[in-house]
Amino acid sequence: MTQLNNGITLFFSLLVEAMPFLLLGVIFSSVLLLFVDEQKLLAIMPKNVVLAALAGSLIGFLFPVCECGNIPVARRLLTKGAPTAVAIGFLLAAPTVNPVVFWATWIAFRDQPEIVFLRVGFSLTVAVTIALIFSAQADIRPFLQDNLTRMMGEPDPAVAVSTEPEVSPLLKSGTFLMQAPGQVLQLDAPPAQVLAQVAVAPPPMGQRLRMMVDNMVLELRELGAVLVIGSAIAAFVQVAIPREVILSLGQGPVTSIVAMMALAWVVSICSTVDSFFALSFASTFTSGALLAFLVFGPMIDLKNISLLLTVFKGRAIIYLFVLAAQLTFLLTLVMNLYTG
Amino acid sequence: MTSIPKANGSRAPGRRQIPWQALVDATMLMLWGLMLLRFTVTGKLYLLLHPDYMWLAHLAMVLLLAMGLARVVQVWSSYRQRSGPAPRSQEHIALLPRQFSSVLLIAIAVFGLIYNPRPFASETAFQRGITDVLGQTRSRPQRFSLGGDSENRTIVDWVRTLNVYPEPDAYAGQGATVSGFVTHIPGWPDNIIMISRFVLTCCAADAYPVGLPVELPAGANRPAPDTWLEIKGTMKTTTLDGKRQLTIGSATLTEIPEPRTPYEY
Repeated sequence: MTQLNNGITLFFSLLVEAMPFLLLGVIFSSVLLLFVDEQKLLAIMPKNVVLAALAGSLIGFLFPVCECGNIPVARRLLTKGAPTAVAIGFLLAAPTVNPVVFWATWIAFRDQPEIVFLRVGFSLTVAVTIALIFSAQADIRPFLQDNLTRMMGEPDPAVAVSTEPEVSPLLKSGTFLMQAPGQVLQLDAPPAQVLAQVAVAPPPMGQRLRMMVDNMVLELRELGAVLVIGSAIAAFVQVAIPREVILSLGQGPVTSIVAMMALAWVVSICSTVDSFFALSFASTFTSGALLAFLVFGPMIDLKNISLLLTVFKGRAIIYLFVLAAQLTFLLTLVMNLYTG
Repeated sequence: MTSIPKANGSRAPGRRQIPWQALVDATMLMLWGLMLLRFTVTGKLYLLLHPDYMWLAHLAMVLLLAMGLARVVQVWSSYRQRSGPAPRSQEHIALLPRQFSSVLLIAIAVFGLIYNPRPFASETAFQRGITDVLGQTRSRPQRFSLGGDSENRTIVDWVRTLNVYPEPDAYAGQGATVSGFVTHIPGWPDNIIMISRFVLTCCAADAYPVGLPVELPAGANRPAPDTWLEIKGTMKTTTLDGKRQLTIGSATLTEIPEPRTPYEY
């Protein structure tokens, strides 16, 4: 009975601590998703591959979203002709390298600031490395889902982005639809191009606000449910599994990392709140293992595989998974062995 | 309702669509806000969070209630004007079935409205490995000062002091007044109990126990585990489990009610 009470208290404690951050994350991501223009953002991306990978990894500061929100954004970036390095860097780093997550991690681990900074450092390292590996492939499209490659058009990224024709399109022959003032859509253009442009046309302000609120509630409902399940698992593990078992697992430099990575993959908790989850293991697991959880979890987990499948083909997801797992494991193992 | 809508051909006549999903969402948001409100009003929030971060929970409470209210107003006005549903964002891909998420969140909020969280007690303290030493993974305070009278030190202050200078004899003869709950440690003699507290750095998830051994006065009954006591005594050194430990000797025990904030920080 005491165990059950403890478990429930722990569960509510995690929920109450995590809910404000989830709310903030959802609000930020809804506002920014509708008001930041990716087109302009992409125009200022550096051309150098390494810099592009790094820049992509840092875009998270503009889109403070967790891993559920960033896949649709990465998808849009790809359809708008983002270089592979930018898109992959963003996909892997944005859930961790953003202000809301940084703050939440800081609150959870303010006594161990090294965890906060290493989380950001390791995430950037892993994201940039994988982005570089993927951009060695000249044409990313064989890795992507077919419906996405159709939207991307031909390899030369001049397609579907020209919104400023040299003469007024109304002076040309064909069928046109009026979009927002000054924008017309040619109906007899190739279907992929039409679709891409429809997605670009911004809806009017009132509708955008309404969509923003809708998006907030929608994300809150989904991520809230995942948070509830994740907190329940954390509370259960804390009270139901004998402490000796957890300790023997959590103190080995290798076993602790593997266990936490597996846990991160299964629990799929949102990156804005996962530091509180990790905190409940802080006294029993090595710091390297906690970092492995915090770095690997936001990149790939059980929950976002279904989301990744809307962008990538299975083979590419396996590459992403294996690379991210190996790099995280290596980095955190080095940390465990050097800091004891 | 007797009003007959004008037949405008484009809409199915007669029926107003009740936006169930929006109403369910509004209920969910309000219930979560109310749950946080209840924890705040009853002081149960002290059992869950470090006081430094309570403003975050308060902020969440206000935001949730406001969002719920906004949702109701939105539903009401679009119901009155009979406008169609808002356009759905194209970006979203569902992870869990919508109804499942809603039901789960509403159920948890209702549970939170009736359940009374309880502070951790001796059994947990023992299970989490109660010590008078802060281990490697424990928080290391940034500042440390031995300000004031030894009698004003809490259990945590004593444990932090010991952490810096562990020799128990150094404290012999100093007076101590501490309060906490009783834990029985197996293997210790019957006249010695542990007086303990949980320490929080962020929330109940990272609560860890600390404690000091107390030597009971001769002939005194051994207090039951989880009894809250205030203990006055003088520090001395005893050997427990083959280890020399700082112990509160010649103690007087006063039973106290469980404090509103049972944790230390």
